[in-house]
Amino acid sequence: MLEVKLHDIGEGMTEGEIIHYLVKVGDSVSTDQPLVEVQTDKMIAELTSPCSGIVKQIIIEAGETVKVGTSLIYIEAHDAVRTEQKTQPERNQNVKKQDFQSNEQVKKSSQNTFSRILAAPYTRKIARENNINLEDVQATDPSGKVTEEDVYRFLKGQKTEKESVKIVPQVTSTKETPDEIPFKGIRKKIAEKMTKSLFTIPHVTHFDEVNMTNLFKMREDLKASGESIGVSAFLIKALVISLKDFPIFNAELDEVNSRILLKKNYHIGLATNTESGLIVPVLHDADKKSIKDIHKEVKGLTERAIAGKLQPFEMQNSTFTVSNVGPLGSTGATPIINYPETALIAFHKTKKRPIVNNHDEIVIGHIMTLSMAFDHRVADGATAVAFTNRFASLIEQPHKLIMEMI
Amino acid sequence: MVVGEISQQRNLIIIGGGPGGYSAAIRGAQLGLSVTLIEQADLGGVCLNKGCIPSKIFTHAATKRSETKHLQDLGIGNGDDAFYVNKLLTYKDKVIAGLRAGVESLCKENQIEVISGKATFLGVDRIGVENGHQFDIFEFEQVIIATGSTPMMPLGLKEKGERILLSHEIFEIEEIPPHLIVNGQDYIALEVASSFAALGSKVTILFDDKGDTFDESINKELNRLFKRRKITVYKDVQLISTNETESEIAITFTNKNVEETITGSHFFLTGIRTPNVEPLGIKRIGIVQSDEGFIQVDGNMQTSIPSIYAIGDVTEGSLMAIKAIKQGKAAVEAIAGRKPEVDLTFLPIVAHTIPPIVSVGLTEQNARNFGMEVRVSQFPLAGNGYASITGKKDGFIKVIADSTTEIISGIHMIGEGAIEMSGTFVQLLEMAAKEEDVKFPLYAHPGFSEGLLEAVEGLIGQAIHIAPSKKKTLLKV
Repeated sequence: MLEVKLHDIGEGMTEGEIIHYLVKVGDSVSTDQPLVEVQTDKMIAELTSPCSGIVKQIIIEAGETVKVGTSLIYIEAHDAVRTEQKTQPERNQNVKKQDFQSNEQVKKSSQNTFSRILAAPYTRKIARENNINLEDVQATDPSGKVTEEDVYRFLKGQKTEKESVKIVPQVTSTKETPDEIPFKGIRKKIAEKMTKSLFTIPHVTHFDEVNMTNLFKMREDLKASGESIGVSAFLIKALVISLKDFPIFNAELDEVNSRILLKKNYHIGLATNTESGLIVPVLHDADKKSIKDIHKEVKGLTERAIAGKLQPFEMQNSTFTVSNVGPLGSTGATPIINYPETALIAFHKTKKRPIVNNHDEIVIGHIMTLSMAFDHRVADGATAVAFTNRFASLIEQPHKLIMEMI
Repeated sequence: MVVGEISQQRNLIIIGGGPGGYSAAIRGAQLGLSVTLIEQADLGGVCLNKGCIPSKIFTHAATKRSETKHLQDLGIGNGDDAFYVNKLLTYKDKVIAGLRAGVESLCKENQIEVISGKATFLGVDRIGVENGHQFDIFEFEQVIIATGSTPMMPLGLKEKGERILLSHEIFEIEEIPPHLIVNGQDYIALEVASSFAALGSKVTILFDDKGDTFDESINKELNRLFKRRKITVYKDVQLISTNETESEIAITFTNKNVEETITGSHFFLTGIRTPNVEPLGIKRIGIVQSDEGFIQVDGNMQTSIPSIYAIGDVTEGSLMAIKAIKQGKAAVEAIAGRKPEVDLTFLPIVAHTIPPIVSVGLTEQNARNFGMEVRVSQFPLAGNGYASITGKKDGFIKVIADSTTEIISGIHMIGEGAIEMSGTFVQLLEMAAKEEDVKFPLYAHPGFSEGLLEAVEGLIGQAIHIAPSKKKTLLKV
C-alpha cells in the first residue's frame, strides 16, 4: 500500500487546501496520472500518482486544509512489495516470509546512483525509533542535510495534526453576525508581502502622461498586414530597453551586505488580477525576446494565472514588476513595490484628450497615464523622471524601438 | 551417532564464534537475553585465528623491519635487520592465545553458554549439535547463523599443491619464501606482497583486471612505491595455469593478451570465498540463498525464515570482520525488539601495506561517474612536518567534496597513520560533514592529522604547505 502525501510543490509551501479529487476509491490509476487538485497560497497544483495501482482509500476530504507531509490517498500498487514490519518474533515458525526481499537485492537495484543518507547517525536513530522515513523530512539546510531539529519539527507536525480538534464556531441567533471570509491562502500571502514592502521601502510615486497616438497607428498598420500585437507587448519592450539604460531600477537593495545588486536578468513580473486575488506571473528574460514572442508569452502567462495553473518557476525571480490596470480604468495610483525589487510601474487607462501638437494646433490624442513607484533608498526622483521620459519617448516614437532590435 | 529423543530448550542460539558471533552473543547478554554460542573450533573464528590478527602480526613485523635504516639514522642499532620467522610465529601464537583467552573469559563473564560442536538444522526450530560421539538437540526461539566463509581456489585452477598458499595458510608459513608470486587486487594480496617483500622475499605481484579497489591516485602511488621496493608488477593479468615441481612453481598467465610464464618458490592467491553453509543443511528447511550459496537477509539480518537470522561472511556482500561485528550486534538488537540499522556505505577499505592505505566513500572516478559536481584536493605528506620527523614522507591524503553543498563525499589516504586516521574519515562522512567542519577544529602539531586539514583547505587552494603553482595544478586534477 502506497501513501500519496501532500508534498512541497515549490516556494516552501507548508499547507494546502484539497480542492477536488480526480479519482475515486476503486479507480485504477497509472503512473503520473493526476489524482488530486491542491490549492496552495499561490496556485492550484495537481498531485500525480507515483505508481500504477488501485485507489484503496481517500483519507482527507475535499475542502480540508492540511499540512505538507499529510497522507491523502492510499494506493495499492500493482506489483507492490509488502513491507509490513514484524513487531514481535513470531512463534509460528513454519510460516515463511512471503514478502522476503534481501538487503543486497534492494542495494543492487539502486547501484547506479550514490545513495547516501545526509544525516548524522544520531539524527538517523531518532528518525528510526519514531518510524520516520528520513526522506519525508524536509531539511532546513539547502544542502539537504537533515538535522535533529528537522526530525523533531517533523515529529511535532505529525503530532499536532493528530491532536488538533476542530472548533465549531458558535452561532447565536439573536445577534446579527457579520459574514466571514477566511483570511488565508493567496489573500493572506498578499497581505504579508504588501506589509513587508510598505514597512521596509520608503515609496515615492510620480505620475506622467504618454502619448500613445503613434503607437496605436503602428498597431493598426500591423493589424492590417495580419499581425495583431497587444499594447502591453510594446510597453514591456520599451520598458526593458529603458531599464537597460537605467539599471538602478532593475536592482535589489541587499541591506545585510550594504550593497545594491544590479540584476543582469530582465524578468518582468506581470501583476494579474484573478478570482482568488493578485498573482504575479513572471516573463523571464524579456530582453532576449521579440515583441511578438513577448505578446504570445504574456497571453499564455495571464491565461494560466487566471486558471490557477501556473508552475512554481513561472512565479519566481522577477526583477521589475508591471501592473497594467488600463483595461480596468483609473488615471493614477500609488502602487506598492513588489519587494525586494526597486520599482514598479502601473499603466492606466488610455483616453482621448485634446493635445497641442508641434504646430501649435489642438488635435485629438490618445493619452495614457502611468504611475511609477520607486525605492527612495536606492534611487532619486530625477533619475526616475529621466527613466520614464526615456520610456515615453520610445512609445511616442515607436519606430525608435526598431533601433533597439538585437 | 545416536539421535537423542529429548531436546533441550534454549532462547537464542548463535552458530559460530567468530567476531560476528561472539559480538552478537555478548551484546545479547547485555540486552538480557539468554545466549548459547556454538563453535566447532576456536572462539574468535577466522579473524582471530587465521585471518585479521595473524596477518597483522606479519604486516607489523614487516613495517618494523622496514624501519631499520631509519632507526640507524636516529642512532639506534647498527643496521642489522636479521629476521627469524620462527620467533615471529611464536609471537603470533602468543598474541592469538592471549586474545582468544580474552574472548573466552568475556563470554564466561557474560554468562554465555559456549558449546563445542558442529551444528545442523533439523527443522525451522531445532538444531542438532555433534561433538565426537555426543549428539544433542536444541530447540530455539531464534538462531543466528554466523558460520563465516572459507577461502577457495578460483574456478579453473583445481590442483593445489604445497607451494600454493591461500589466505589462511600464508601466515603459518615456516620459511620466508625466496620468491613469492602474489595474485589478486584486494587488500589481502596487497598486504601479502608488501609484507613479504619487507621480510626478505623477492615478490612479483600479478594484478588481475577486476577493476580498482582504490582511487586511481592511490593505485598509482602504490605502484610507484612497489617498484621502488623492487616488487615486480604485472597488470591486467588473467591466470591460465600453475605447474608445481619439487623445487618451484611456474605460473602461466596472459598479460595484456600476451601469454607469459614466470617461476617462483611459492604462489599466493586471494582466490574466492565460499560460505560455510553445507554442513548446516539449510537448503532442507528452505532458507533463501544466492546463486553462490550466500544466505540472503533483510535489513534486520533476518532470513526468509523469521526465526533464523544470519550475519557476516555467510551472508551476501563484502567479507569483512567489521561488517560481521556490526551485523551481529544489529541482529541481536532486532531480536531484543530494538530498531537497529546497518549501513555499509562508508565501510572503510583498509590495507596494512607499507605505507598503509585507507579508502572511505566515493572515489573521484565514482563521483564523476555519478555525475556529481565535485572538487578534489590531494595533500602530499611530504608537506607534513610530522612525516619529515618520522621519515614517513611517502603518500598523500585525497579529499573529494561536493562543490555546491561542500559536503565531503570521499577521503582516501596512503601514508603513515592512515589506519588510525580512518576513524576520523568515517566519522566525517557519517556526520555528512562539510568542509568547514574539518577546517574549524584544532589539530595536534606536529601530527599526521594536520595533513587532513591541509587536504581540505586545498579544496579551495588554501593549503599552507603547498606552493601556489603546485596548488593550481592540483586543483585541476
